[in-house]
Amino acid sequence: MSVTTEAAREQSRARYPDDEGWVERDGVRVFYEVYGDAPTTLLLFPTGPISHSRLWKAQIPYLSRYFRVVVFDPRGNGRSDRPGTAAAYSRWEFVEDGRAVLEAAGTDTALLGGLCHGGGSALMLAATYPACALGVFAIAPFVPMLAPSHENYLHYPFDEQLDTDEGWAKCNSHYWRRDYRGFLEFFFSQQLPEPHSTKQLEDCIEWGLAGDVDANVLSAMEASRPWASEKDARALCRRVRCPVLVAHGDLDGCQPRQEAAVVAELTGGTLVTLQGAGHLPQARHPVKVNGLMKEFADSVVPPQPKVRRWTRALSRRRRALFICSPIGLGHAQRDVAIARELRQLVPDLEIDWLAQHPVTKVLEGEGERVHPMSAELANESGHMESESAEHDLHCFQAWRRMDEILLANFMVFHDVAREENYDLWIGDEAWELDYYLHENPEEKRAAYAWLTDFVGWLPMPDGGEREAFLTADYNAEMIEHIARFPRVRDRAIYVGNPDDVVSESFGPELPLIRDWTEQHFDFAGYVSGFDPAAFADREKLRHELGYRPDEQVCIVTVGGSGVGGHLLRRVVDSFPEAKQLVPDLRMIVVAGPRIDPAAFPEQDGLEVRAYVHNLYRHLAACDLAVVQGGLTTSMELTANRRPFLYFPLRHHFEQNFHVRHRLGRYGAGRAMDFETATPAVIAQAIAEEIGRDVDYAPVETDGAAKAAARIAELL
Amino acid sequence: MELVTDVAREQTRARYPDEDGYVERDGIKVFWERYGEGEPTILLQPTWEIVHSRSWKMQIPFLARHARVITFDPRGNGKSDRPPAYEDYVREEFAKDARAVLDAAGVDRAIVVGWCDMGESLILAASHPERVAGLVLIAPPTSPHEVETTDYPFDEVLDTDEGWAKENKHYWLRDWEGYLEQFFGACFTEPHSTKPIEDCVGWGLETDAETILTGFRGWETKEITPETTRELAARVQCPVLVIQGSEDGLMDPQRALDLAEELGASVVVFEGSGHAPHVRDPVKVNLLIRDFVESLERSAR
Repeated sequence: MSVTTEAAREQSRARYPDDEGWVERDGVRVFYEVYGDAPTTLLLFPTGPISHSRLWKAQIPYLSRYFRVVVFDPRGNGRSDRPGTAAAYSRWEFVEDGRAVLEAAGTDTALLGGLCHGGGSALMLAATYPACALGVFAIAPFVPMLAPSHENYLHYPFDEQLDTDEGWAKCNSHYWRRDYRGFLEFFFSQQLPEPHSTKQLEDCIEWGLAGDVDANVLSAMEASRPWASEKDARALCRRVRCPVLVAHGDLDGCQPRQEAAVVAELTGGTLVTLQGAGHLPQARHPVKVNGLMKEFADSVVPPQPKVRRWTRALSRRRRALFICSPIGLGHAQRDVAIARELRQLVPDLEIDWLAQHPVTKVLEGEGERVHPMSAELANESGHMESESAEHDLHCFQAWRRMDEILLANFMVFHDVAREENYDLWIGDEAWELDYYLHENPEEKRAAYAWLTDFVGWLPMPDGGEREAFLTADYNAEMIEHIARFPRVRDRAIYVGNPDDVVSESFGPELPLIRDWTEQHFDFAGYVSGFDPAAFADREKLRHELGYRPDEQVCIVTVGGSGVGGHLLRRVVDSFPEAKQLVPDLRMIVVAGPRIDPAAFPEQDGLEVRAYVHNLYRHLAACDLAVVQGGLTTSMELTANRRPFLYFPLRHHFEQNFHVRHRLGRYGAGRAMDFETATPAVIAQAIAEEIGRDVDYAPVETDGAAKAAARIAELL
Repeated sequence: MELVTDVAREQTRARYPDEDGYVERDGIKVFWERYGEGEPTILLQPTWEIVHSRSWKMQIPFLARHARVITFDPRGNGKSDRPPAYEDYVREEFAKDARAVLDAAGVDRAIVVGWCDMGESLILAASHPERVAGLVLIAPPTSPHEVETTDYPFDEVLDTDEGWAKENKHYWLRDWEGYLEQFFGACFTEPHSTKPIEDCVGWGLETDAETILTGFRGWETKEITPETTRELAARVQCPVLVIQGSEDGLMDPQRALDLAEELGASVVVFEGSGHAPHVRDPVKVNLLIRDFVESLERSAR
């Protein structure tokens, strides 16, 4: 398997630092970041220059809600300097950097955390400056000479010319200088023995490549000799007086179990063995590691006394938490419809929503209760926009590059779910919820219903073998999750019918998507937020909305995200020609909550609006709609039997495969290719389609009720 | 509803003590039990003498798997003596009994858990901080502020014995069991509490009105005063956890919250629970006690 990682733009973070800066010691500058302003500081050490502080990306957003988290880039990587002498990479220099960073961050005591080399640094700081350390959380700590090195390092000398570069022979200074990426790919694949670790592996390689090879060689030479003997190492551990927790994966390929066990023994600490985990559990098992870190920190620095509440079972009100995907507004409409039906079936049900902008805008319009912790969610729409180019969103890769945000948002959910007693969680394409519940099934403490309108990641043709491999790997993990923990999803509801499911396979040697989906899902039929019968009298509706009988109304909308700006521009550019072809044309451009309407100057017959509440009423009244390839809007048009042009976003597998397949089944809409659709082509298509009678297959109207009925059985 | 409570053979216990014995102070013998070995140690305090140490039956078997658990019967009930003087039943004496029991069981230091504790645990923690590692107070009535007194005079002959008119010296002597049913009916406000009520009434019948009256002249004197509460609370150094039911039928829950504030304690409010959540919601209380004990263990390193 080959791994490609462009040294690309950093992916969106779930949380950005509140403060940052450099400390300088002996002319070497070290970059640090501070997150949050809680009274207790948590300093997370970097490993050596093999990585930088993004190593902690899965911890920072969660822990900084409770602690002031300080991280820094090691000398030799990230935004820190790359000094050129061996002495500059002595283990003690990293320790002193940590102390200087603490001082710069304005504190002299902190909880300390670290992984491998950094775990050793934390212990060294605690042993040398006991007053600095409230406690040490060390993952697979590297404390030289305490125990025999991991057998992986015993095969080849590090600094000699070898006649092979197979396997662990890559852990060699000459090979590093020849092919550092080759080493990183090998090394981190060994440190992530857990299946389905592609994203973590890519991250580690990217962070490794951000460092300096010479710095890594120097650091590797120095790393093992901060002292002279095993006796010194043991003495150091014994000098640690604060509480210590050592976490160690039993498949660790870097630091042996014995080393972790001896650290725990000599420091009087606790050893937590993570079974089936490798060397990087903070990346691969972040929910568990975050929980351990929080629990350890709370035991060392008890939180301020507060009043907590526990409600005895039979005194509890019936409550559901609806977790609604914020990507596109479509989920919000259908989820509100399902919630409405659910309340009909279970009248005393209280529903809270964990949701973010722009979904919250719909929910507030409907008078729904948005849980206050929603404010802590990291923004997913903003990330998707940042990943998009001109009418182009590689949504599978964009979703992968959202891993930090998804985890951070799961941790918000986790805290809400622990604190409050919900009877039921409903997740509509709430990927973070579904994924991490299957990764941490012990966190399931309520009934759980999962809703989706597509199943299966599909590769885009130009993604080549690599993308085909990745999508299959994600599909395989999902299939294994469901097979191993069928108890996690109490209901899995497909928003649609079996024929709406694509016929492709999940990947090589994996089942066909349709077969598997039929086995593992209930089918609710399509769920729209409205009943088309309410719009049977179109003339009356048009009158209400201010559309005259003698004008041809064309609505242009790209949904709730900011991704559609280019399409809007292109369609606006087609307006003059379209107006010539269709003299009665009245074009309404809906910019949506995340695009500035001022970007599109109005002209005669063309109006631009920021946000239209109940847009579906306008879509029901129009003579033509021009839309992206998103499911909700195109299905609303299908249900209302309106002609429409749709432009799937380039590289958006869901719009290009799943939605297109479904619209094909209904015989609905005219698919357009943004690539070839010049303003003239669009104007022509508008003229051909506007006001046309359609023969779409009918869309059911009882989807929300059917979905709600299945969910209500859980209450 | 009529309650049938034989003072019958004790029901089978889930766990029997590993050691028991008596301590004797000024000729008064107090019966204690030990369950489990080693450290830490948890002392489950008797409440006042209306019941005895079986009121912790839902805690002992679980906690004894994690700690050494000590219980004792209050003077005036169970296997402890029934001394004859009012002064024998003041809270200071209960605190001294607790200390004597710890001595007898060879315990230096314990986490002290009290239910409806009328001051003895505060006295112990304030006066002997070296003996008390932490304090859990379940529905403590000892408020740092003045609270309202009962509606009916305790000593006078009343022309009714409806409801809380049963809290009256003459009624007690007439129908102690009737009072116990009134008292524990109000203690368990949760529906479906028949067994806990039967248990408590049964334990209350192991003493009698005469014994109770020896040590009782009204709640104002049974509990320590608000002034003493404040004075003791200021001297308590150990971590404190307060557990309080929102539907407590025997006291205003605010008393416990006020005390918690005075102590700087953590509080868990049990929504929908009455005055004895450790009996009625034992799983949650057991886990809270265990978590509290574990947090003390960790921070004691």
